Amino acid sequence: MLKTRLSKILASIFLFALIMGPGPGLYLVNPSPNNPSTTTFLGMPVLFAWASFWFFVQAGVVLVAYRKLWTNGKDLDE
Amino acid sequence: MSNWHILAATDIAGEHLPHFMLGGYMLLLVWLCYLGYRKGKATEEDYYLAGRGQGAIVTSLTIMATFFSSAALLGIPGVVYRDGISFFLFALNLPVAGAAVYLLGDRIRKLGKARGYVTPADLVGDYYGGTEVRLLAAATSALYVLPYVIMQIKAGGYLAQRLFPEAPPLEFFGSSFTMYETGVWALSFLTMAYVLVGGMRSVAWTDVIQGILLIFGMLVAGLATIVYFGGLGGYFEAVSTLPAMALSAPGYSDKWNPGMLFTICAFASLGSIIQPGQWMRFYAAKDSNTLRKSALVFSVVLPVCFLFGIMLVALGGQILFPPGITAEGIIPHPSVGAQSSEVDQIVIVMIQRVVPEMLGITFGAVVVTMILIAVLAASMSTADSNLHALSAVLTRDVYDRFIRPQADERERTWVGRIVIVIATMAAVALVEWSQKAGAFNPLELISQLMLLAIAFSSQLLPIAIDVLFLNKGTRQGAIAGLTAGIGLVLLLTIKPEWSFGITKIVHVSAVGIAANAIVFGFVSRVTKKVPQKRIDEFRRIIKAKW
Repeated sequence: MLKTRLSKILASIFLFALIMGPGPGLYLVNPSPNNPSTTTFLGMPVLFAWASFWFFVQAGVVLVAYRKLWTNGKDLDE
Repeated sequence: MSNWHILAATDIAGEHLPHFMLGGYMLLLVWLCYLGYRKGKATEEDYYLAGRGQGAIVTSLTIMATFFSSAALLGIPGVVYRDGISFFLFALNLPVAGAAVYLLGDRIRKLGKARGYVTPADLVGDYYGGTEVRLLAAATSALYVLPYVIMQIKAGGYLAQRLFPEAPPLEFFGSSFTMYETGVWALSFLTMAYVLVGGMRSVAWTDVIQGILLIFGMLVAGLATIVYFGGLGGYFEAVSTLPAMALSAPGYSDKWNPGMLFTICAFASLGSIIQPGQWMRFYAAKDSNTLRKSALVFSVVLPVCFLFGIMLVALGGQILFPPGITAEGIIPHPSVGAQSSEVDQIVIVMIQRVVPEMLGITFGAVVVTMILIAVLAASMSTADSNLHALSAVLTRDVYDRFIRPQADERERTWVGRIVIVIATMAAVALVEWSQKAGAFNPLELISQLMLLAIAFSSQLLPIAIDVLFLNKGTRQGAIAGLTAGIGLVLLLTIKPEWSFGITKIVHVSAVGIAANAIVFGFVSRVTKKVPQKRIDEFRRIIKAKW
């Protein structure tokens, strides 16, 4: 598994996005229920911006894997 | 204002707009069923796997439609409405499941095509040998499927109530059927009919229509909500006025902490993508490229539908119909429902408010009806796939192995059809009985069963990873791991207090997978290996580029 450099990088980024997005990374931005001023970022709710950002990271990884790795029946092994 | 008022407040087709649109949708399904029947051959492989020749568009849409049940338009928005924005992060499970469509699915497809597999138990049973692993895998599959079919049939009843709330009971052969019962029977009968007649081909083709309707419904509802609030800026400005509790984790119910969200995204997502209906779709795919494209479409399109579609509607519901917090818990606004379990009707209430605002009463009524039909489509697309998978599991893994091994292909296909009829009737009977059971709360019980079902299907993950990637496990290890995983999930569902609070921090599927993997690994170290010849054969098939 994960034999090429690109596959290792993509797998690492995807895992990082999973840990940061819905995982423990959420503590970095989670607003305090007692402090309403921290609930928005650039006019939008912080958690919406957080979820959207990490979704785009995950989707980007899948797109690169689709174009560069998952070709001719190959997968992360190749 | 009830749905009826919105839907009737148009001069299109008098007061019969929902009847005509629903009728048109059902006729379309019947036509696709007929086409599937005409194209099909009388073989088991054709009935269950559409001849293993499904292309990228059909495979993408049938995988997406099967993945999302009525939860997509009812349950998940209901959680956002109840708990707030923290549940938006649930959408990040979708790229994980999408990547697995290719990474797991293509290996499953290759093995299935090379060795003639139809069910998940065919693959794991063949690899590890013996009957125990096959039976455990078949039991896991059946445990997943049954509650899902029941949930979808119930949704048909709710939808009929919402579409025709003022319609009188229907008299049929001397019996009287409420709208709820009519919906339950109509959804069950129609779904059963096209699964029976056309098999996988009809199921997949109807899933295409249902998948398109789902995507349309989720995105249009989201767009209408944003327009209602005067654009994205106005929407976010209104959202920012919500209490901080609604805009932070773990939300009102104190449930969506990062541990819970992370384990759902990492493990429950994979459990859902290797459930028997999806597993059989991997077998049915034409080639690697089909699953490669399906993985990309799944990973990108579905999260967009959730994050920028239906979840925005539900959060908007908190502004227009604020839920109340009482000592008993969170209860919906009176316009949404009277009981806490009715939070899942928020989308139905919201679209009545916001869609006519964007499109006008006449065209708005058409689109509202289409979105309600999309909810029905979500239910049918999951019910059909699960009925079809259950038929394959009970016929291939039980009837063919233990009851009549000498049965020919034609007999097995007919037994599969009988299984579909019996399973549908049993599900309808259970739904009808539960509706009349008074103080007993069947919905709550079935919701628990649904969560239990996902946790069960997740238990196939360790042995699937072993067969497809690692090749380190043994038959005894697989039996012990599966038994430990399923047993622990069952135990912690019945007695959650025995988890010492762990299941409040992480999802029960992850606890089951951890126990399963540890026992599987330990027992595999001290028991007899799978023959090297079989491992080499599996590796050779997986490495092949086709």
